[in-house]
Amino acid sequence: MPIVEPSLVEVQRTEKLALDGIDVSGDWNTFLRSRVHTDLDLKVLEWVQSQPQGETISRCWQCGTCTAGCCMHTDFGLEEFNPRYFIYLAQIGYDEELRKYVDTIWRCVSCNKCVERCPKGVKVEEVVHTIGTYLEVTGIAKESPADRFDRAYTENLLRRGVLDEAALFRTYERLEGRKTPTRELLRLGLSMLLSGRLHTGPLAHRARGWGRMKPVLTRLMTEDLRRRRDSATGPGAVASPGRRP
Amino acid sequence: MSASRGPADEVPAYYPGCSLDGLGKAYEVSCQWVLRRLGLSLDRIVDYNCCGATEVKNLSQEVSVVLPARNLALARGMGRHQVVAACNGCVYSLTRANDALSDEPTRGRINDHLTAGGSPRYDGGASVQHVLEFIHNRAGPERVRHSVKRPLAGLTVAPYYGCLYSRPKRYTGVGLTPGTDDPEHPEFLDELLTACGATVLTDYSAKTICCGGGHALSDLDVSVAFSASVMNEAKRAGADLVATICPLGQINIENNLDRIRQTYGTEAILPVAYFTQLMALALGASVKEARLKDNFSRPDLFLRGRGFP
Repeated sequence: MPIVEPSLVEVQRTEKLALDGIDVSGDWNTFLRSRVHTDLDLKVLEWVQSQPQGETISRCWQCGTCTAGCCMHTDFGLEEFNPRYFIYLAQIGYDEELRKYVDTIWRCVSCNKCVERCPKGVKVEEVVHTIGTYLEVTGIAKESPADRFDRAYTENLLRRGVLDEAALFRTYERLEGRKTPTRELLRLGLSMLLSGRLHTGPLAHRARGWGRMKPVLTRLMTEDLRRRRDSATGPGAVASPGRRP
Repeated sequence: MSASRGPADEVPAYYPGCSLDGLGKAYEVSCQWVLRRLGLSLDRIVDYNCCGATEVKNLSQEVSVVLPARNLALARGMGRHQVVAACNGCVYSLTRANDALSDEPTRGRINDHLTAGGSPRYDGGASVQHVLEFIHNRAGPERVRHSVKRPLAGLTVAPYYGCLYSRPKRYTGVGLTPGTDDPEHPEFLDELLTACGATVLTDYSAKTICCGGGHALSDLDVSVAFSASVMNEAKRAGADLVATICPLGQINIENNLDRIRQTYGTEAILPVAYFTQLMALALGASVKEARLKDNFSRPDLFLRGRGFP
């Protein structure tokens, strides 16, 4: 296992050391704490691979091109956001380490630079989202703000086929317990309305023929959500070899 | 999916997407203005539906393919081989669906869903391009240069393409198919704005960074930081204005103006406008006709100050 968990890195530091009058204090050596893994569980890998969005995970050869260009990792500077590492942990089935990133992994902004650059054709962005989904459906992570937004967005668009942007904004603010002052909303709303940009409630656009499409999509959505939950947690969950009793 | 683009002079189907009929109205209006002036036309897909952008795929693969597939099916129903979208998110999800549908069993399944919902079937054959590519390929910088009425002389513009215009190439075909832009160093916007007489910052470092729009509401720290970089980098390079090609980018950046002001100060703010608004201005539209007042960053005030009527 060439790539190591940051928590295992042990630096041997010398606080004050002078040799022949020259200050040589500092980091002298870096060790990796030795450890024996007994709790690796390939269930996460198998589950991610079984999802259409995650099936390319096994092509990854850990080159790190995704992390090197990742805007969350480099531009935003969130060092622990490391798609290469998330994939690695999922590949070896190291749940215990993966669960340390529940508050990080959902923050991918889907810029797709990683998918563009991956030399092995891994759909990194979708794979990372799928790993995040695994953490969520198995109850390891709570529903993240991004997941809540995805849900609000999808419910909104399924209603009429066309997005009602203003209603989505209001719904999402309610979900997060945020509130833009009413006066501010009215001011914005009025200027939008006058410039023909506010299509909400009775003014909302609607795709003709959506009446027949909607039940089909609603059923598909419910089935997909149920399937992914059951396959991760239910009795028919993917096999988990090597799990410690 | 098959790369056939139909006859070279085909009038493509136009997929406006929810944004252009809603918050991005200024983009739609200025876009139509530019197309008319350049002698280009697009046929609107009526009764289109939302393409699902980058959100739906995180919940259900099946739904995330059916949604764009219905729009592509409607375009094929109009007899078109080309679909033009103006939003990066739409280009992404439409091309992503084309990629998924190149698999035959998937296509069969998705068509079953479409039929059950009373929509036409989709058997491939609709290639998707961004409206920027369309204008660049059909009119080109030369025709634009000849049509300019009021050059954008003295304006330094930072061309902001954002993320999903040019990538990932496995979906968009960008950089691999003739007539498509480079995925890492796109240039079409630079060329068109240069043709309009503007000074374009070709080496603008934030050209293809993410604006954080995917998490515009759900992760404010990130969306504010990225929107600020788009403007800061432009400012640093000496831009007067940022040109965008995506309604989500435009709206996200402008929605964060107050927060950017609080964090980085008023100096960090630059006016932001859709590229078609700037092109319309150069092709003879007034500031009002280009609907520049719609933008929260008020490019109308700035441009009036520079003598544009």
